Amino acid sequence: MRMTDKRPLSDAELDGLFAASRRAAPAPSDDLMARVLGDAAEAAAPAAVPAPRRAGRRGLLAQIGGWPAAAGLAAAAVAGLAIGLWQPEALDDLTGGYLASAAGYEIEDLLPSYGDLLGEG
Amino acid sequence: MDMAFDALDGVSDEALLVAYGNGDMAAARALTARLTPRVLGYATRLLGGDRAEAEDVAQEAMLRLWKQAGEWRQGEAKVTTWLYRVVTNLCTDRRRRARGVALDQVPEPEDGAPGAEARMQDRARAAALDDALAGLPDRQRQAVVLRHIEGLSNPEIAAVMDIGVEAVESLTARGKRALAAALAPRREELGYEDDR
Repeated sequence: MRMTDKRPLSDAELDGLFAASRRAAPAPSDDLMARVLGDAAEAAAPAAVPAPRRAGRRGLLAQIGGWPAAAGLAAAAVAGLAIGLWQPEALDDLTGGYLASAAGYEIEDLLPSYGDLLGEG
Repeated sequence: MDMAFDALDGVSDEALLVAYGNGDMAAARALTARLTPRVLGYATRLLGGDRAEAEDVAQEAMLRLWKQAGEWRQGEAKVTTWLYRVVTNLCTDRRRRARGVALDQVPEPEDGAPGAEARMQDRARAAALDDALAGLPDRQRQAVVLRHIEGLSNPEIAAVMDIGVEAVESLTARGKRALAAALAPRREELGYEDDR
């Protein structure tokens, strides 16, 4: 089939084809529309559906900054207790002897019943 | 709070997209109804009438739009220009991958309703045009479809295709000449008289 066999289509004839193509444009299926909307809902999920605020423990957690902050807080508390129990000598540098030597305190003075247990550490 | 659906008719695509980005699902429904048919139609023509492939492209393009919504700035770009560009690129990728596979394996829709004859001629013409479009180089096909079927202006096409307006004019002119020549042997089939 040689293209030169026939006169090319005129602009008007081509326009007729373009118009036919517009009229024959496929309508999106309901399924496609549903999939597109589903994607929209999914993509919007974090912004469109904010997590409901909860009172109580979770509310407190959220206020101090979530689990990582809570873990940090717990670690700091334990470290503070340990430093206080095992290294009271450091306090002497601060008090400079005005107070009774901190090293003079034994575990038993603070926690008499657990002294044996903690003293071995 | 969602706006009423019919109250969104006069709202621009860009404003709707920003509203959706702020969590307004009514805006998403309005955008879906407005844009999905255009995206699907354009993809179908670029893909030589392959409906299933075009639906995939349409869904993917709309998904990219949803993901873009949070960063959309009003006044920066037209949503349709952005979408046409995404669809153009997606279709180019798919055609590149599918090269060698016949594109005209679309089942003929059945139709026995009144007015069916006119619709059948439309369909025959549209199918012939799809065939001829499929024979054009990618850039010519994109420019011709955007100009003559989607009805975009030359500056809009230039923005979609990331080229100058002169290049758009050249592509559409060459594309139309090639279509006119390629379709000449099918004149009678298209319902045009060969009055020579």
